[in-house]
Amino acid sequence: MNAMRPVSDVTELPTVTFGSRSLMWWGTLGFMTIEGWTLAILVVSYFYLRQNFDAWPPLRTPNPSLLVPTINLVLMLVSVIPAWLTQQAAKKLDLGGVKRWLIVSTVVAIPIVVLRWWELWAINTRWDTNAYGSAAWTVVGFHTSLLVLDVADTIGLLLFYLIRPMPLKSFSDTADNSFYWYFTVGIWIPVYLIIYVGPRIA
Amino acid sequence: MTLPADAIDRDAVELEEVWRDPPGIWGWFTTTNHKVIAKRYIITAFLMFIAGGIEAGLMRAQLMRPGNTLVGPDRYNQLFTTHGTTMMFLFAVPIMTAMGLYFVPLMVGARTVAFPRLNAFGYWTYVVAVVFLYVSLFVNTGPDAGWFAYPPLSGPEYSPGHRVDVWAQVVTFTEIAALVAAVNVIVTTFKMRAPGMSLNRIPLFVWAQLVVAFMIIFAMPAVAVGSTLMLAADRALNMHWFNPAEGGDALLWQHVFWFFGHPEVYIIFLPALGFITPIIETFTERPLFGYSAVVLANITTAFFAFGLWVHHMFATPIPEVGQSLFTAASMLITIPTAVQIFCWIATLWGSRPRLAVPLLFVLGFFFTFVNGGITGVMLASVAFDKQAHDTFFVVAHLHYVLLGGGVMPLFGALHFWFPKVTGRLLNERLGKWQFWLFITGVNLTFFPMHILGLNGMPRRVYTYLPETGWGPLNLLATVGAVIIVLSVVVFLVNVAKSWKGGEIAGDNPWNSSGLEWAVPSPPPSYSFLHTPFVTGRHPLWETTDGLPVVTGLSVHERQVLVTTTFDAVPDYRHSMPSSSIWPMYLALCMGLVFIGSIFSPYFVLGGLGISLLGLVGWAWTASNKREEERVALPDGAVEA
Repeated sequence: MNAMRPVSDVTELPTVTFGSRSLMWWGTLGFMTIEGWTLAILVVSYFYLRQNFDAWPPLRTPNPSLLVPTINLVLMLVSVIPAWLTQQAAKKLDLGGVKRWLIVSTVVAIPIVVLRWWELWAINTRWDTNAYGSAAWTVVGFHTSLLVLDVADTIGLLLFYLIRPMPLKSFSDTADNSFYWYFTVGIWIPVYLIIYVGPRIA
Repeated sequence: MTLPADAIDRDAVELEEVWRDPPGIWGWFTTTNHKVIAKRYIITAFLMFIAGGIEAGLMRAQLMRPGNTLVGPDRYNQLFTTHGTTMMFLFAVPIMTAMGLYFVPLMVGARTVAFPRLNAFGYWTYVVAVVFLYVSLFVNTGPDAGWFAYPPLSGPEYSPGHRVDVWAQVVTFTEIAALVAAVNVIVTTFKMRAPGMSLNRIPLFVWAQLVVAFMIIFAMPAVAVGSTLMLAADRALNMHWFNPAEGGDALLWQHVFWFFGHPEVYIIFLPALGFITPIIETFTERPLFGYSAVVLANITTAFFAFGLWVHHMFATPIPEVGQSLFTAASMLITIPTAVQIFCWIATLWGSRPRLAVPLLFVLGFFFTFVNGGITGVMLASVAFDKQAHDTFFVVAHLHYVLLGGGVMPLFGALHFWFPKVTGRLLNERLGKWQFWLFITGVNLTFFPMHILGLNGMPRRVYTYLPETGWGPLNLLATVGAVIIVLSVVVFLVNVAKSWKGGEIAGDNPWNSSGLEWAVPSPPPSYSFLHTPFVTGRHPLWETTDGLPVVTGLSVHERQVLVTTTFDAVPDYRHSMPSSSIWPMYLALCMGLVFIGSIFSPYFVLGGLGISLLGLVGWAWTASNKREEERVALPDGAVEA
């Protein structure tokens, strides 16, 4: 080992930070990029297959239903509010607030996941009927996996807060969980428009 | 003033206590030490190089003379598919990213990677792919539709059975492993650089790894979509992505595959370029000419690499405008590559380079790679491409590029950094034997294939008739392959002899300039006793009175220093989680999910179910109370 010459000291630096200062935020951003890009490739592939059909949806294939997807879209948009309030509470290290808003977030998220089941069937074509059905199911299905993952993370966080003492660092992770939720909801808006509304106006 | 020796010793003992893995076999499975994991990654990937080499050897033995009967057509299909799949997915990409996972933290002055557990998870996922592919091959279920598995051949109609399913899932595992490695490299480089290492002081090795990590993030999802969500779904769930009868499109596969597949070449090639710079700098003892030009060339190459994929599809009905565009892009990408090569030549120019083994391999790279690059420019021309398509000319081209552009610098790098990893130098004389055998063998094997291709020999045929006249050149290529084998054997003997019995290297045997040479060889579990403070691009060449360091990180937990993205100003002290079994557990669960999906959807549900336990275990052990916490709130207040 070479001789070492101390030139500064970092003892006074914090050990927990929020947002883009923290490693976890960057990791989350990395996975959001990967997942968002994956969804984008699927959507491009959906449109690529569109070229093979005269009509879209193909002949003798009904349009997707709008009722359930629209209700769920509204629910998802509403769910951003408790996610935002959770994030605000986390940023103030307000343990009571975090628990409260995580409970509300969970209560809103569960019906979203349940409705997603009917939302898949609202495509009104099975995945094995034709290429249109395959593409539509895969796009919505892939988003569903992100949705379920984030809801599981939210519920897991809530349970941890309820049953054990948590380090202050977990407030930063909780804030990042909301960050990921905005992404999950945000990318759903174009998917909703493309899969459920698009065929009606094409 | 330098740090007193007794303080150094005391800190070293305490840090070792905190950073080391648990003892015994448990520690082997639970390690999150990036150096241990990367070393395993490199060794596993090299074993894959040998496996892929054996497959190549069998193919060369079969093609040695016309009408040979050593390997039948069915086995031959499995051999060339497994060879390509192994070399691309299980050797080249993993070993290049593994070099990054070992050296990026050391070169930026960090004690570990940003997400050590994720890193372990990536490695075990990769191991699942390795085991799965080779067990399948030995039970006669080796993939047989080529390493790019074009449908309709790879679809359910023409490839019944599970051979292509194996391929699709192996690819999925390797994509996951590459993606988590990429996120790790990016965040480590952005947020964990030593104070003072602003963007314009990042070592070029690290720049190359950073650019490649971004390429992985945008390239790998394409093939993951193709292999898992499309091909496997067509085969297992009766989807119709590639079934023209129901509006699907086989060409869509070629687009998603090559949108990944072409950048893939650069994902292998750019890290190799990253190896070359420190080798040239060290053996010429001068800083690289044109640092900024090389950084920009790296980034430009990455951008262009995403605009070339259609040149793999010139033999399909692509509109003429599209063909012209992709021809132009394919020629354009030679410019940034040439910029880098000229910068290295300029650095070598007028210097008195020491012709040590690592530099020999770099010189071998110049010769071999430039040859492969030139045939690449030829293939970029549509008219020529249509003639040479699917012939041995393409096989010759891609092996010149990958062996010249990837494997030669890799061998140079292995010789160069072996002393850092093991503490001992490789034998120089054996190294020179290896080099000369390798460059002779590569050229003897692959140069004749250009001519065979121009004479019309198609790739992927298990034999040919004597009347074709292809026999002599094929024999020559096989002789070359034997010489390559000899070269690799010499390397393995060298490694085996030197690992325990080689000359002791010391911290910095080559008098190199990077931070990785500031730590002992092999590095301790915590790498840096104190985080270095960087004042230039060549830290060890610029300090004469002791390495400037930053003190104040805890010696009681696994703490690292996080710095700002652009200027690398110290920002906060981050605590890393403990060693853990859960990354391996989760990787095995993922294995169950994806391998099981071939047979029954219940495996998927079951696998996901038991994954939940892994996720909870992972999160639980990562969220234990810390001994000391100081929170920087977003409004600027700090609370303890």
